Amino acid sequence: MKAKAIKVLIAKPGLDGHDRGAKVVAHALMEAGMEVIYTGLHKTVDDIIRIALQEDVDVVGLSIMSGAHVPIARKYMQKARDAGIDDKMVVIGGVIPAKDIPQLKKIGISGVFPGGTPFLDIVRFIRDNLTHA
Amino acid sequence: MGVAKYTKNEKGQITDVELQSGIHVKTFYGPEDLERVGFSYEKDLADPGQYPFTRAIHPQGYRSRAWTTRQYTGFGTPYETNERFKLMIANGQTGLNVAFDLPTQMGYDSDDPIAEGEVGRVGMAVDSLRDFEVAFRDINLAEIGTGLTINAVASIMLAMYQAAAEKYGYDPKVISATPQNDILKEMIGRGAWIFPVEPAVKLVGDVIEYSIKALPKTNPVSVCGYHIRESGATPAQEIAFAFLIANAYIDNVLARGYDIDEFVGRFSFNLNVFGNLWEQIAKFRAARKLWARNLKEKYNVKKTSNMFLRGLFGGGGFGLTKAQPQNNIMRGAYYALAAALGGAQTIALCSYDEAYTIPTPESAVISLRTLQLLMDEVGMRDTVDPLAGSYFIETLTKEMEAKIEEESEKIEKMGGIIPAVATGYIQRLVSRQAYEFEKGVQSGEFLKVGVNIYTEGESKEVELHRYNVKTAEKQIRELKRVKRERNQRDVKRTLEALEKATKAGENVMPFLVDCCRAYATVGEMTKIFRDVFGEFEEPGLV
Amino acid sequence: MTSLVEKILNGDEKSAARLISKVEEENSGAYTALSRLLPHTGKANVLGITGPPGAGKSTLAGRLAVAFADSGRNVGVIATDPTSIHTRGAFLGDRLRMKNAEKKKIFIRSMAHRGYPGGLAKAAAGAMYVLEGLGKDVIIFESVGAGQSEKGLFLLCDTIITVFTGDYGDEIQLLKAGLTEIGDILVVNKADKPGAEEAKKDLEAFSSRVNTPGDWHVPVLLTRADSGEGIEVLTDAIKRHWRFVAESGKKEQKKKEKLGLLFIALLKEEFWQRTQKRLKKNRLFKDVLSDVRSGKTDPYSAMQKVLDSLGTTNI
Repeated sequence: MKAKAIKVLIAKPGLDGHDRGAKVVAHALMEAGMEVIYTGLHKTVDDIIRIALQEDVDVVGLSIMSGAHVPIARKYMQKARDAGIDDKMVVIGGVIPAKDIPQLKKIGISGVFPGGTPFLDIVRFIRDNLTHA
Repeated sequence: MGVAKYTKNEKGQITDVELQSGIHVKTFYGPEDLERVGFSYEKDLADPGQYPFTRAIHPQGYRSRAWTTRQYTGFGTPYETNERFKLMIANGQTGLNVAFDLPTQMGYDSDDPIAEGEVGRVGMAVDSLRDFEVAFRDINLAEIGTGLTINAVASIMLAMYQAAAEKYGYDPKVISATPQNDILKEMIGRGAWIFPVEPAVKLVGDVIEYSIKALPKTNPVSVCGYHIRESGATPAQEIAFAFLIANAYIDNVLARGYDIDEFVGRFSFNLNVFGNLWEQIAKFRAARKLWARNLKEKYNVKKTSNMFLRGLFGGGGFGLTKAQPQNNIMRGAYYALAAALGGAQTIALCSYDEAYTIPTPESAVISLRTLQLLMDEVGMRDTVDPLAGSYFIETLTKEMEAKIEEESEKIEKMGGIIPAVATGYIQRLVSRQAYEFEKGVQSGEFLKVGVNIYTEGESKEVELHRYNVKTAEKQIRELKRVKRERNQRDVKRTLEALEKATKAGENVMPFLVDCCRAYATVGEMTKIFRDVFGEFEEPGLV
Repeated sequence: MTSLVEKILNGDEKSAARLISKVEEENSGAYTALSRLLPHTGKANVLGITGPPGAGKSTLAGRLAVAFADSGRNVGVIATDPTSIHTRGAFLGDRLRMKNAEKKKIFIRSMAHRGYPGGLAKAAAGAMYVLEGLGKDVIIFESVGAGQSEKGLFLLCDTIITVFTGDYGDEIQLLKAGLTEIGDILVVNKADKPGAEEAKKDLEAFSSRVNTPGDWHVPVLLTRADSGEGIEVLTDAIKRHWRFVAESGKKEQKKKEKLGLLFIALLKEEFWQRTQKRLKKNRLFKDVLSDVRSGKTDPYSAMQKVLDSLGTTNI
């Protein structure tokens, strides 16, 4: 059997169009040897779920700069459960105040990476926490 | 250190400095440098208010008129925004700059399912004329100028501003609005685009054309190098791309049969301030010169005042850090200094908590005070362009000018700015640069106080503006009421007229004003555009 | 795996996506599942799109997917992207250019090239059978770009579209590289750009030379994938070609060829995998390998030595 490449979906949910962070992280993950799909802007949670499902990615990264991270995360996790893909790792990056992190974890987000998190930390987190069946 | 690349020898002495735009800085400068770059007083500098306006567009500089202070403001419902406007005006702010929430920027009403969680979050929610009536209540629209920071639907917001002003009894001829109305930069960075390139640029042209005819005191476009820079462009690219974009809009209006001198004097620019202090100052000075030259030589502009680069220099959002947030107050002060030494007409600063969320009233006032302090306390109005004649600054300004032209030629060679944006060439270029820069910050190549030097471990959190979850409910209730109470026949008639005009390729502005007067909603008007124009296809990452 | 196959046959996208991953990972269980799916396949029309980077392949694939979906077909897209030689990572960027296709009930799957020892074609073939099992009756392959590695992939296709543009000076190079030999339809995309008409003329002159009488006449078409111009004419040409391959018996012939080649490719891969496992435990192999590395033995005689020791009957 061949060693599996880690496949990551970098998604921009909602109407916010600030994509510098999402693109920069996509570059970093690609350079770390991962296969990266970028959704592009203005995606609904339903769009993202469908892409994650069809592509059978290992990780879904939500990039949110608008401050709406808690409602979006909640909606995403609910719909992921409905679609039966809540086994995929979900991480969030963007403008995330520290006080919101416990709440996001409770919702089911594995990792939270506020702006400025070193790439290496993100890469390491994904590699260490990914359990392949 | 900062954004430039520094080379040091084993003793730790700096042996080379390379600015972001690719210019190398020497240990010191002298007359031979001016000679090397071919500096001439008449050609490159001239007196303030004289072509090519490197020093200032007005002969008196800040002596006759200080810069306008115009903080980016808006959140929640129009009621809350109206209060904040009045607070800022009471504290001495001289212009308004409206922030809109994302559903408004993207042309959706507050009750659209896609708007869920976003209503009133990053700016003011706007659905119909009723919201503008509330937002601008008790504000003297004949005296204050208003920036409308919106692009894809700038046409709708300007129409609504006119309709609101009329409601309050102002003649459209006296109101002064500055819709941002720069869609090409949204496609490069910031991402609030809706329609494909061609119709999107046509809408920009509609706003400009309509302003020529009906809104003589309105500045119909503010070209934003700002967001291009935030997305990863160098300062030289920021100016080069902004000017190419401005030229694309000029060409659109010229093709409609107008004379350049009829409208170009009302173009303005929104440029960024973060980065290396000297590079910023040289950038602004070179930009003023190049813009004047572009208009005079390429477009044959006759009237001197039409060659002015009028600029809002400010923001600096990308320079702010979440770590040690109070440091952002000092950063803002230095950025403001760069803007003032660069000859800004208007300055706005990101507030120190903006790395987290929209500003609290306290932090917004601190930014305003920072600007007032610079204006009234430390002597920034004493003399025009105080750095003129500096061997270093003049050399750097000349070198910057050459760099900007070089970046501009690269794009022209590949067919111009529109294909460069439509195919994603620029987006890929700047995102690659952003990645390289970020790597440099993480490796410590670019020093950032509180981030990779002088760190304090766990960073303290600031008191944040709290998003009011009731905002959406309130806004939607209001929208429902407006929809119930308005004259449905007028709405139907005006929307049908808009659709017809849109399909026929007419200037949509007069039709939008009618729709606004009838309380048609932003979502209803935008839907017509979406159906007729389609949507922009975002280019790929690679 | 049994339930996975049943779920796929019942139209479950998630199971299909999972099985494609297993195929990509070269999981042997996936082969069992594929052999159970195979009887349900063979009827779909398979379309391959190739051409140089930047020609607009993804956008065109997206447009065609939407066009076929709108005409009532059940469409699946498999888009392949190169894997970086340095980092082994990949940007799977094609999907982003198929914005409209995303809105329809179209299944899109991105695959990185991953430098498969058995060739991309093997994973792609598996993915194709999975999509057919899922009920897709039009499958569109978007290739990495021009090159020899495409050939295996295109054996899977009934129709191959090669996309060019007018603003590339590379046409001649591509002709030399033999790219048009595998094009059943040639498209000059970005028809609004200067040079498009000229490129069309050049390609027409070229294709008329390779056409053999009585055979398929290779059409050269102008499109604008960005605006959708020319897509209707293109879909008509595609349908015409599908009829041609069906009526001329080429589809049936190719299918047999395809299955034979797939069998050989799978066997080759499996032989090598097994041999490799045995070799890793083989003392002589290790010694000979180090002799080769140190220059004591040359690779040619080393190979002979190992083959002799393995014997020919019990691989």
